Amino acid sequence: MPAPSETLPAGRLRRGLTEPLLPFAALALLALAASAAEQTVLCWASVGALAGYALSGSV
Amino acid sequence: MLFSPGWRAPVRQSHVLAVFTLGLLAGGTLTATVLWLLSGLGAPLPSGVRTGAILAVAALGVAREAGWVRIPLPQNARQIPQDVLQRRVRLGALQFGFELGTGVRTFVSASAPYVIALGLLLSHQGPVATILTGTGFGAGRAVTATVRYASRHDEWDDRRITRMPLLTNAIGVTVLVALAVLLLRGL
Repeated sequence: MPAPSETLPAGRLRRGLTEPLLPFAALALLALAASAAEQTVLCWASVGALAGYALSGSV
Repeated sequence: MLFSPGWRAPVRQSHVLAVFTLGLLAGGTLTATVLWLLSGLGAPLPSGVRTGAILAVAALGVAREAGWVRIPLPQNARQIPQDVLQRRVRLGALQFGFELGTGVRTFVSASAPYVIALGLLLSHQGPVATILTGTGFGAGRAVTATVRYASRHDEWDDRRITRMPLLTNAIGVTVLVALAVLLLRGL
């Protein structure tokens, strides 16, 4: 069994990659960039995704 | 819970996540298709009025999330029955995802989905933009389940609960800004 110090980095990486704010940041950047570039379909789809993510309930 | 580390059902959790996601995408797509069919009703209104109404509702959504105004949401105040998942896990996950994806079969507690639905109704986008917005809504809901599954730890729920006020506020502001930039440039 690995020592706790050996498993920590992977745990930290997983924790960082699954940070609940990260999907928001990615989708918000996409939505704002798409609106600035007048990419209508992409902008609407990404704000739709943000609206879905706003309902981040536990499932 | 469907994607918690304590999963004991004889079906792989990743399969359940896949069919749940499929249900979410189908549900969001269906609702958006209905919104697109209804969106022509607002077409007689001048474009400036429709844009103004969308942005006013988006600003109200921001104010509501910030707690500056109290606006009750016209949500369907019911929970999807748990026995949906207990009969057949895969089929139940598909149905559960579909019902959540439609956004009309259970609680919708944030302002952003209402802003987007009204925005689609009033702005009368083309079928591709409208339907993909619904598919995006389902995908956005699936992100939660996917990240929850990937975290492999119950502690993720605590982080999610802690971040929710910030998330719903930031999403409301982002939706307002993105729609304002997109719609005002199109006037």
